[in-house]
Amino acid sequence: MTAIAWLDRPYLLLLGHGLAVTIVLAAVCVTLALALGFALALAGRHRWGLPLTHAYTAAFRNTPLLLQLFFWYFGAMALLPEAARVWLNSPHALWPTPETLAATLGLTLYTAAYFAEDIRAGLRGVPAGQWEAALAIGLRPAQAFRFVVLPQALRISAPALIGQIMNAVKNSSLTMAIGMAELSYTSRQVESATFKTFQAFGFATLGYVLLIVLIETGWQIWRRQRPVWTR
Amino acid sequence: MDALSSWDVIKNNLPWLLWGAWPDGPLGGLALTVVLAAGSALGSAVLGLALGILLAVLRGVPRHALLGTLAFLRAIPVLMLIFWVYFLLPICLHIDVPGVWSVMCALTLISAAYLAHAVYAGIEGISKGQWEAALATGLTHWQTLRLVILPQALRMMAPSFINQWVTLIKDTSLAYIVGVGELAMVTAQVSNRVMIYPAQLFLFAGVLYFALCQGVTWAGNRVAKTAWQS
Repeated sequence: MTAIAWLDRPYLLLLGHGLAVTIVLAAVCVTLALALGFALALAGRHRWGLPLTHAYTAAFRNTPLLLQLFFWYFGAMALLPEAARVWLNSPHALWPTPETLAATLGLTLYTAAYFAEDIRAGLRGVPAGQWEAALAIGLRPAQAFRFVVLPQALRISAPALIGQIMNAVKNSSLTMAIGMAELSYTSRQVESATFKTFQAFGFATLGYVLLIVLIETGWQIWRRQRPVWTR
Repeated sequence: MDALSSWDVIKNNLPWLLWGAWPDGPLGGLALTVVLAAGSALGSAVLGLALGILLAVLRGVPRHALLGTLAFLRAIPVLMLIFWVYFLLPICLHIDVPGVWSVMCALTLISAAYLAHAVYAGIEGISKGQWEAALATGLTHWQTLRLVILPQALRMMAPSFINQWVTLIKDTSLAYIVGVGELAMVTAQVSNRVMIYPAQLFLFAGVLYFALCQGVTWAGNRVAKTAWQS
């Protein structure tokens, strides 16, 4: 009955660690990508910034994330000066490994392109009358944006943003290709060490499903707690 | 010895990047990427349409079972599904399944799960009056769906299908994980072999993917526009 026996403790710990890496990686990348995506969306409202935002989103959305990760890990590293490369590849206190750096950079830049589009769509969805009315009652443009336009825009983009956050969690699995020891990577490790394929892949699969369900549940609870008129 | 320029490296490896070892060996590179994407696009269009129609006609427990399955497929990373299919398909079919087929199968499943909801939304978006009018003229339910509802619904689904094709092209790169020599894989291979200009090589592959995705978007929008102008 060894075929259906559950995994030994060290393997479970390894998988648990992988799950933790996935959570931290996704959380960090989503936070950074939200900031960058917001900046890109704001730049897109400007005459000079619009082509830049368009070029960014087109480039990052029309090429595979895997290739982008390869580029940051194998390619960009080679473009750095020798001294910087040696420094990056040698261990430092509190400084991430090259794999972590490339994975974070790659996933952040990719996710930001999608966030930017969704936030932009939200900003466009606020009727122009809202701006005009806010300015007419004496708000400065910055205040009108902060207190009138932005809250409505975020409400419009929220469902799409939640979907992109889920995508970021799932996309973090691709970082295994550059050696990031996250959930998919460790499940493959455990699989080849124990040949308990069902258990190893099953753990990882359930881990992802759990994370997605948690995000969905959190979003639904948060949505219901808001007053009706803001939904 | 003259130093090789980055362009020389790309030029020397161009056939390998574009079509792999073909015709002397298996197809690879950009050509395999196109084959993988086209195959799973076709498969997922058929399956997605069928599942979308099922979502619209099923009621009760079967419908919930289908919704649950679709939600599950949408919740797991494509990579995990490729692992599962690559591992389970040979066990279920009792034959050796090449990586290319596993990947195509996984991409078809996941893509169909996304398209099913678009198809369902498209069908639901057609007003009840259309159903009633068509049934009143004596068409059967199936004829109404095929001749009246779907032609109108497909028009609304066009953007979803085009989006999904772009996603598919990008997702073919995941075939790398089971050792299928498509564009991302052969680019990494060449980069490892020549040990020079990795950034330029990956940029070149990026340009190829970009052209492919933009081409599909452009062509898809064009076809969708002309097909419904009359």
